[in-house]
Amino acid sequence: MLLSLFVVNKSGGLIYHRNFSSLAKLDTNDTLRLGSMWHSLHAISSQLSPVPGCKGIELLEAETFDLHNFQTPTGIKFFAVAECKSHGVDRFLKRVYNLYADYVLKNPFYELDMPIRCELFDLQLTSEVTLTMN
Amino acid sequence: MSQRGSVLPSLVDRHILTSKTRNDVGVGAFAFLFSEIVQYSQTRVSNVSELERKLADVGFDVGVRMLELLVHREKAGKRENRILGILSFLHTNVWKNLFGKTADSLEKGTSADDEYMISDHDLLVNRYISVPRDMGHLNCGAFAAGIVEGVLKSAGFPARVTAHSVASEGLSRPKTTILIKFAPEVIERDEKLGS
Amino acid sequence: MSSKGKVASSVAGERINSELFTLTYGALVRHLLLDLESPEEVNKQLDRMGQNIGVRLVDDFLAKTNTTRCRNFKEAVKTIADTGFKMFLGIDAKVTQIGDKECKMVLNDNPLIDFVELPEKLEPLSYCNLLCGVIRGALEQVSMKVEVLISKDPLKGDERFELHMKLLEYINEEYPFADD
Repeated sequence: MLLSLFVVNKSGGLIYHRNFSSLAKLDTNDTLRLGSMWHSLHAISSQLSPVPGCKGIELLEAETFDLHNFQTPTGIKFFAVAECKSHGVDRFLKRVYNLYADYVLKNPFYELDMPIRCELFDLQLTSEVTLTMN
Repeated sequence: MSQRGSVLPSLVDRHILTSKTRNDVGVGAFAFLFSEIVQYSQTRVSNVSELERKLADVGFDVGVRMLELLVHREKAGKRENRILGILSFLHTNVWKNLFGKTADSLEKGTSADDEYMISDHDLLVNRYISVPRDMGHLNCGAFAAGIVEGVLKSAGFPARVTAHSVASEGLSRPKTTILIKFAPEVIERDEKLGS
Repeated sequence: MSSKGKVASSVAGERINSELFTLTYGALVRHLLLDLESPEEVNKQLDRMGQNIGVRLVDDFLAKTNTTRCRNFKEAVKTIADTGFKMFLGIDAKVTQIGDKECKMVLNDNPLIDFVELPEKLEPLSYCNLLCGVIRGALEQVSMKVEVLISKDPLKGDERFELHMKLLEYINEEYPFADD
């Protein structure tokens, strides 16, 4: 079960956040702060790797949740918080990347790296979440 | 033929008669190009109506040329002279060629005799576009309206053509309706030709 | 971890009639000529618009082909030629010369110039300049600064359409990775 989704741009700015459960209760400031801290943590994790070319944390498993991270080759991070051992989260994140490519990047009114305010992206995401949860 | 020794065949010899031999392009290529045209147009105008006008002007060019291609290819040079004929040509042939499908509906306006509407639930040019709230009634389908206006004008049916978003029941997003208002002389001519 | 990635074998995504694309591009160039008046200004504008498209389009490409990263110039060039042109323009491109920092690529066909003939007075116009910007913008997003020029152009009497690409630098310090 998906709990929330974050999208962070390549400079660490949070450009999208959505909760899918009433369990997740973070205010806007918290999500902004956590998004950019995750960006840094992710960078640290790849530097810690003794082998060059490490792509950073892909899955973080905690006692009460899993965090799945998908980073695109262009440096955007799509990450989701889900219940432990949830299935299909990585696939979901790749689908969100696809929706982002269609309904955000092909929208002339979207400015690159800025917060995503695109009605169609919201709508498509909602149906993707429903698909993933069922 | 080019004077500079181009090896391209002259335009009339090229494959205007056989579009289907052409490799087709990805929908993304068009979507990004169109998005860029909208962004560029925004820098040349000061309000939403001017933006729609600018997009329609670009579409107009496309319409004029599309008509030439289609008349040669599909109608063997035969020209349409009746209103219903040209409208169904738009709704079916032009739409299919440009957008890969016929339009969803063609209707006569309810309030005026010189008005017709072509509607599409998923107009290709609008597929990925979310209009921000501060741009109000903007519909980038103005580009498609321009195409329609270009086809009609060069076919000898001058008309005023505009694009509108119309909410439709059971659908999460509005359909795009292209409203066509024919010039008085077009209506007169059609009446003279009788039924 | 694989850096080359598996490129989708079939062409990704819905296709449309190339004529809509060709005629729309033609209409754009015509309007730019009207707006900006000089062909040189139009060349610059096409290049800028291309760049703007490229920085967005690269994510569309990556999302739909599942390409992971192209870690160097040679791999990037191969990916563009093998998959990029096919996916977006439906055409084949062939790399004819390639080094670590330079390459030439020939397009077997170019939908941008269907129905086009350049009148003599527009000699300075680089009609397809948008393509240069697109490639530059796309590669910039994956940390490669490149220069792209049209080296042969059928609209100017050449037999084929050819692009000349030069790598200027890798932007990110993590490039290039050592081979594993």
